[in-house]
Amino acid sequence: MSAETDDALFTDIDLGWEHRKNRIFLGLIFAASMFGVVMLALLLLDVATDFYVGITEYNISLGEFFTRDGSRREELSGFRGAIVASIFLMVLTAILSFFVGVGSAIYLEEYAPNNRTTRLIEANLANLAGVPSIVYGLLALAAFVNGIGMGPILVAGAIALALLVMPIIIVSTQEALRAVPDGLRNGSYATGATEWQTIRRVVLPAAIPGIMTGTILALARAIGETAPLIMVGAIFVNRVPFGPFDRFSAMPTQIYNWANEPSQHFIHLAAVGIVVLLAFMFVMNGIAIYVRNRYETEV
Amino acid sequence: MTDNKSGRSSFSGVSRRNFLTIGALTGAVSVAGCGDVLSGGSGDGPSGTIDASGSNTVAPITSWAGENFENEYPDVLVDVAPEGTGAGFQEFCRGNSGVQSASREITGDEVDLCSENNIDYGFLEVGLDGLSVVKNSENDWVDNITLEELQLIWEFEATEEVTRWSDVRDEWPDEEMQLHARDSASGTFDYFTEAINGEMGDIRDDYSATSQTNEIMGAVADNLHGFGWGGLGYLRDIEDDQPIEAVPVESDEDGEFYLPDQDNIEEGLYSPLARPLFAYVNLATLEEKTDLIGSFVRFYVNGAQEFARDEDFYAAPDEVTEENHDKIDDWLDQVGASPDDLTVQRD
Repeated sequence: MSAETDDALFTDIDLGWEHRKNRIFLGLIFAASMFGVVMLALLLLDVATDFYVGITEYNISLGEFFTRDGSRREELSGFRGAIVASIFLMVLTAILSFFVGVGSAIYLEEYAPNNRTTRLIEANLANLAGVPSIVYGLLALAAFVNGIGMGPILVAGAIALALLVMPIIIVSTQEALRAVPDGLRNGSYATGATEWQTIRRVVLPAAIPGIMTGTILALARAIGETAPLIMVGAIFVNRVPFGPFDRFSAMPTQIYNWANEPSQHFIHLAAVGIVVLLAFMFVMNGIAIYVRNRYETEV
Repeated sequence: MTDNKSGRSSFSGVSRRNFLTIGALTGAVSVAGCGDVLSGGSGDGPSGTIDASGSNTVAPITSWAGENFENEYPDVLVDVAPEGTGAGFQEFCRGNSGVQSASREITGDEVDLCSENNIDYGFLEVGLDGLSVVKNSENDWVDNITLEELQLIWEFEATEEVTRWSDVRDEWPDEEMQLHARDSASGTFDYFTEAINGEMGDIRDDYSATSQTNEIMGAVADNLHGFGWGGLGYLRDIEDDQPIEAVPVESDEDGEFYLPDQDNIEEGLYSPLARPLFAYVNLATLEEKTDLIGSFVRFYVNGAQEFARDEDFYAAPDEVTEENHDKIDDWLDQVGASPDDLTVQRD
C-alpha cells in the first residue's frame, strides 16, 4: 500500500470517537445484562413489601397461615390446603415424569442408532421444551379431565405438569449421561459386561447426581406453574386433598385466586403465599445445587 | 482406581436411597388414597362433590354458601368456578355442573342448548345487586333523574344529539356532559341497556366505554360534568374519599325517586336498577344425588339473605325465600323425592 492511502486512512479516523463508541457499547451491554437482575430485585422488593405490610397491617399470622385452608373470609384464610396439594402434585409429577424421562434419555444416549428416527425424536424433544405450558394444560383438559372424565383432580394436574417437565428431564439426563467418560463404558465392556449391565452398574451411578439435579430443577419449575393447572380447572378448591383423586388448588393457583379478589387483605395473603412458594423453589434449587456440588467432582 | 471405586459405590448408594425414597412416597400416596376413600364413606349426611359454574359476580355468594355447607358437612366439596354467566351456561347446559350462578336470566340460545342436551333446570333468586347512576358531588343541578331521561341520554338515538345537560332538562346548564360507562363485554351492560333502553345492547356510541368500573367512578369524581353508571359496590368503595355520589332514580314501582341504599333495594323500591341474582339447578343431578344437591340448595336458600349481605350484595325479600323453598319442593316432587329425604330442612 502507498504512503498516501495510509495517511488518508489514519486522518479519517477520530480515535476519541472510536473510544467513546467503545465505552457506549460497553455501557449498553452492561445495562442489558443488569436489566434482568434489576427487574428481579424490584419484583422481590415488591413482594417483600407486600409481605411485610400483610404481616404488620393486616395481622396475617404465619402460624394460622400454615394451619388453615383457604376461605371466602380473608381473616380465616390460610395456605395449608394449597401447600399439601402442591407437595402431592410434586410427588405425582416426579413419579410420572422421572422413569419415562430417564428411560427415554438412556435409550437416546446409549442405544439409539444415529438415524433419521432418532433425529426426529430429538428434534421433537427440543420443540416440546419450547411449547407454552398452557398448551399442556389444554391437552390434559381435553384428554383426561373431560376426555376420560377424570375431572379436575390431582392426577390430571400431575399429568399436565409431568408432560411439561419431561423434555427438561430428558435433556438434562442426556447431558449427564454424555458427561460419563467413554473410558468407564469401555472398561466395563472389556470385563465382558453386557450393555445393560454397563448402564446399570457403571453409567447410571456416575450420572445420577446430574440426573437428580436436572429432575429437581424441573420439579422446581413445575411447582410454580399456574397456567396448566388453571386449564385443568384446579383453582377454587380450598381444602386439603387426601389422595391423588381429590380435587385441589395448588400454591400458584391459590395465589392467582387471591390476587383476583378486590379486597386488599386477600392481595396481601397472596403476597405471603408468594413468599412461601418462593421459599419452596429456593429450597429445591438449593438441594439441586448441593447434590451437584457434593458429587460431581468425584468422577 | 480406588478413588474411582469408592466414588462409584457412593453413587450407587445415592441411587438406591433415591429409589427407596420414591418407593416410600408411592406408598404414602396410595395409603393416603385409601384414607380418602374411607373418609368419603364415613359419617352421616350428604357427601360428594358439587360442581358449580357461572357468574363471576354471583360466585362469591355461592362460594360462601358452599364453604358454610362444607363446614357443616365435611364430606362435601363445593367446587365453584366463576367463569362468567355465559361461559357457565355453556357448561351447565351440557350437564357439566349441578348448580349455576347467574347475574341474568337464561337467554334463548342457552335455553335451546339446554333442551338439545335434555337438561331440565329450575332457578332460585339468591340476592340483589344494585346499579348506581353517579354524578360529581359538586354537580348541584342533577337532584334526581327519571327513567325517560336516562333513556334519552343513553339510547343509540342520543349519539351526537343529546350531548349537553340542557338537552336533557331545560333548566340544566348548557354545558357538555362527560359520559362514562361499562363496555358491551359485561353483564352489567346487558342489564342496564335492557332495563333502561328497552333492548339489550342498545347504547349510544360516543360515550367513554371501559371494562373497569373503578375507572368510571374515578372519571366522574374527577370531572364536574362527569356522569355515568356502574356496580354499586365500586361506588361504596370510593364515595367517602372522593367527590362522587349516587343520583336518586325514578322507581318504576311508584314513580318516586330513590337512592340505591339497602332499604330501598331490599324493599324493591330501587327498581329497575336493582337486578336479581340467580342460581340455576340441574334437575338431573338433583335426581341422581338428591340429598347432596337438595340439601345444598335448601341450605343455600335458608342462608341466602345472610350470604348475600356478607358478600356486599343485598338480600332478596322474605317472600322470595319462601318462593324458593316452594320451588325446591316442586323439583323434589318432579324427581320423585320428598322434602323429608333431605338432611337439611327449611328453616
